[in-house]
Amino acid sequence: MKRELNVNHLSRVEGHGAVDIVFENERLKEIRLRFTEGPRFFEFITRERLYSEIPKIVSRICGICYVSHRLASAFAVEDAFGVKVPREVELLRRLLVVGEYLESHALHLYFLALPDYMGYPGAIQMAKDYPNVVKRGFRIKELGNKIMKLLGGKTVHGENILVGGFASFPTEEALESVGNELRSIIPELEATLSLFDSLDYPEFTSEVSVAVSVDSKDVTEFSDTVSTSDGVRFTRKEYELFIREETVPYTTAKVSRFEEEPFLIGPLSRVNLHLEELHPAVKKEISLLKTDFPSKNSFHSNVARAVELLNVAYRGVEIVEELLNCERTPSKISVEPRAGTGYGIKEAPRGTLYHRYSFSDDGHCTGANIITPTAQLQAAIESDLRNLTETYSSVSDRELRKLAEMLIRAYDP
Amino acid sequence: MVRVGIMGLTGCSGCQCEILNCEDAIGKLIGKVEFAYFPLAQDVNDFSEFDILFVEGSVSTNLDREKLVKGRERTKILVAVGTCACYGGVQSQRNDEISLDEMLKAVYGENKLDLEVFKPMPLSDVVDVDYELPGCPLDKRQFVYTVASLLNGVEPFFPKIPVCHECKLSETDCLLLKGIPCQGPVSFSGCGAPCTSAGVGCQGCRGNCDFPNFDEILSIYRDIGLSFDDSVKFLKVFRGKTISGLKVGFSDEKGA
Repeated sequence: MKRELNVNHLSRVEGHGAVDIVFENERLKEIRLRFTEGPRFFEFITRERLYSEIPKIVSRICGICYVSHRLASAFAVEDAFGVKVPREVELLRRLLVVGEYLESHALHLYFLALPDYMGYPGAIQMAKDYPNVVKRGFRIKELGNKIMKLLGGKTVHGENILVGGFASFPTEEALESVGNELRSIIPELEATLSLFDSLDYPEFTSEVSVAVSVDSKDVTEFSDTVSTSDGVRFTRKEYELFIREETVPYTTAKVSRFEEEPFLIGPLSRVNLHLEELHPAVKKEISLLKTDFPSKNSFHSNVARAVELLNVAYRGVEIVEELLNCERTPSKISVEPRAGTGYGIKEAPRGTLYHRYSFSDDGHCTGANIITPTAQLQAAIESDLRNLTETYSSVSDRELRKLAEMLIRAYDP
Repeated sequence: MVRVGIMGLTGCSGCQCEILNCEDAIGKLIGKVEFAYFPLAQDVNDFSEFDILFVEGSVSTNLDREKLVKGRERTKILVAVGTCACYGGVQSQRNDEISLDEMLKAVYGENKLDLEVFKPMPLSDVVDVDYELPGCPLDKRQFVYTVASLLNGVEPFFPKIPVCHECKLSETDCLLLKGIPCQGPVSFSGCGAPCTSAGVGCQGCRGNCDFPNFDEILSIYRDIGLSFDDSVKFLKVFRGKTISGLKVGFSDEKGA
């Protein structure tokens, strides 16, 4: 006898997704996670476009992590043309990432994830009983937006983030005020961490063994290499040799594997892999938590997000201090196109992001490949869902459906 | 209670995020408005009927089309939010250059998808749209203004004057005069010109102003040193089908 459990429209996730859990004779037969988002052909529409147009176009892949797409594509173009940006540009890009994480993680934690654990359909409904909790989420998000608007020009899809730097830099006064606001948000982020640590997460152990992340001490630093939990290290040029993509008919996202196996990326992987490199103040906070890191419970991604929020705020304060003492340079260095291929990797809020572009000698794009975190996570989420269904074989369909939704949400696809 | 729905088709969710950024306005709306359908923000959703339905994204698949047609039947007012919903979005910028098959092949190879996929279309290609709030993303003040107007029985009105007007108001120096490619003279204002005030040319993300003079702007780009083809591609990024007629000359095509 065949029985199917479906969630046809995953809510409180950014994209469009659905999940089918198929049983045959009461045994789990198949799990399908389907991303039903219409294709947007970014690898195609960037072709023949001038290099300077690329970050703007690919920014539109994601309205929440647009900074990641803009920066990863700018890194790739700069790699292709042999451009190295000055320290001040790099620091401002790092500060931009602080803004991106504050916005994206706060949105996820307070508006997409928390209602599940507090028993509300959404944050708008939750605000009636917990106005101060929701306000805290808004406040963190607002600071992230403020930083992105200041440096990027707009809160979403800011056009000031360019190949070679920025069209203009913020004033010292504006930077000082960002530094002060970052300092003053730290107690709110500590409260966020203890709130998310205190929630009751379902018992769960992921069977996906390999975790992958960009090789830097935290998300505000950029790197050209990637490392994995089993000690493999590869360069951005080797990315497509290690992370293999394939198209499956039931989903518009491509499915990725590392050494033929699903792999983990995202906040929990990053915190697990770089535990020792967190800011000293964050390390101290972690030692007081009831959640133990490293953790194999995928639901703990939410605690990891709260850890990263606090960590990026501390790093943001350091970045602002260095910026204020930094030698002033032009906001954008000139870029001379040449024929070749460039690669860019970056930790987006939901995981490792990869961009590759090839150019003709006059700077027109001749080919592109973009591997998004959501696509890379698809196989890992399916593996976790299988595992979840087996672990919770005795619960009702309604409960299982709810757990499946919460698990998928924990990956913030 | 006024029943409001916020629905996303094929897009980046950036407009819905901007709507979620309207903290003060959402706070004030609670009590007057019921968010009956808003899957990005809540998991209890009722799609049965609406007073106002906001739709983000382009129509790119059969699922998008079905949702949109149903939504239109069940709402009194339908508002397209963002450039994807109004003009087709960045994903439609090459619709006039190439066939859907070639696009699919370039991204998915010979593999077939279960979905029925179309060339990305604006909502108005499929249903009647009452109001359009373009922008990539939409401007949140215009969203609040539209909701406030409709709640009070006032017709929202958006004059299609060029972005240059907003640069004058904010005393931003003309970027074209500095040799920076800017689409301000042919683009629909209402955003407050945040790009030009950061020193980046207007990218035309809100589409055409009334009576855009493309011949003139193309000759200015030529003087700045941009080729005709690059100029047309630059103008096409956000304008979707509203710019069809301007064709890139493919004589030098090597890329695709």
